[in-house]
Amino acid sequence: MKRSDRITALVILAAVALVAVFWIVVHRTSGTMAVIHVDGRVIATVSLTSREPQTLHITGVLGPLVILADGKGSVRVTKATCRDQICVHTIPARSPGDQIICVPNHMVMTIEGKRTGIDALAQ
Amino acid sequence: MRRIIAPIVALVVVGAGLATFFVLRRSPEPITSTYFLMDTVLTIKTTGGNAAAINEQLHVLASNVDSMTSYYKSESETVRVNAAAGKGPVSVSPEYEALLKAAVGVEAIDHGRTFDIAISPVSSLWGFTTKTFRVPEAKEISSTLAYSHSDQLVLSDTTVQLRDSRARIDLGGVAKGYSLDVMEAYLRTVEPQPRQVIVDFGGNLLLYSGGRKHDWKIGIRDPRGQGIIGYVRSGDVFVATSGDYQRYFERGGKRYCHIIDPTTGYPGTLNQSTTVITTIQPMHGALGDALGKVFFCSTAETQRSLFHTVQGQGVTGIVIVDAAGARSTLGPITLVPTVVQ
Repeated sequence: MKRSDRITALVILAAVALVAVFWIVVHRTSGTMAVIHVDGRVIATVSLTSREPQTLHITGVLGPLVILADGKGSVRVTKATCRDQICVHTIPARSPGDQIICVPNHMVMTIEGKRTGIDALAQ
Repeated sequence: MRRIIAPIVALVVVGAGLATFFVLRRSPEPITSTYFLMDTVLTIKTTGGNAAAINEQLHVLASNVDSMTSYYKSESETVRVNAAAGKGPVSVSPEYEALLKAAVGVEAIDHGRTFDIAISPVSSLWGFTTKTFRVPEAKEISSTLAYSHSDQLVLSDTTVQLRDSRARIDLGGVAKGYSLDVMEAYLRTVEPQPRQVIVDFGGNLLLYSGGRKHDWKIGIRDPRGQGIIGYVRSGDVFVATSGDYQRYFERGGKRYCHIIDPTTGYPGTLNQSTTVITTIQPMHGALGDALGKVFFCSTAETQRSLFHTVQGQGVTGIVIVDAAGARSTLGPITLVPTVVQ
């Protein structure tokens, strides 16, 4: 192999690497997870890719809440210390952008992960 | 051959490098703030400008609207008007008067059949003001309905009066949308201008990009399942949704949602959700919010004729999911369905 051949090969490799980096930056994805905030602070995260069911006991502004990740990619609030129980009614969250909110407890749980491609959700 | 490859490779390298550079510096990171007020969540996502300060100021503006309109807070104008029901006129601020007139204006579109700010005594019967839910007797509902209409309301230029001592008004049906109006007016004047602001007030949206004419993709929540049923593209707008899926209670396997049909006194059952998109104009946030209830409590036929009436008044489109789950739109918008996951 001539020296110029090697240089060409190196340059091609570098180009491929750069394109790969570019691709990753543009299509950056993270594993899907539920991020739980109370009063605007992150207090817990739950991986939704885990096959094991997980139960989380957290404390909201009013009192305890129980959060269940079912091991099949969905997460919901099973118990909450609040009068209206809107959070317990809310359909389990699984897609990026899904939210479960308990206003009396100042709790917001948001599914993060690969972007859904929308700017905002009308609901 | 090599003479051709080398320049091509060089071009690819430079191109990829430049593309990466521009993607990375394309826009500043957005700042997202979450607040709790009006019994819901206010989320503000601002990109560019003094983002953190803008979020704080928008929260202050929304809090001011809450303090003025709240059904519960003792210092609010609504509480003062309600406390004086049957006694005499109460003087109110010009801002409050303007909001009341806007709400009553929306009622007039359908002669108060589908939206009424004076329905709150009936909502209270169902427990939506106290959150101790129950299904009232038909007799209770009809006797309460007798004094739960806006004809109880006497508006002069500076005063408001409720004729019957049992009558009450609740501006919960327009307060979030009106807050978006106040926020938008502030955003237009702030310097330096932010690139983008997304305000999500309990699912009611303000999409702001100033003069940039951003092409927004607005997801429409699936009222029965997870995620979205599709999206609508639009420039800067207000988006208001009325749905039966967040605030409701169940008795005997039946769902009772918080939107009370002022004609019957029972929760609306004709639709699962109605989303109203209005142009950025003064009071159009409040207009969209109120129209969400109007369309929610209307049949498909009435929705079509009502849309004719409001189309020229700043309503660009409506997305409807009816009681059977069928999706439709009114106006020049397209609901792009999401691919089945």
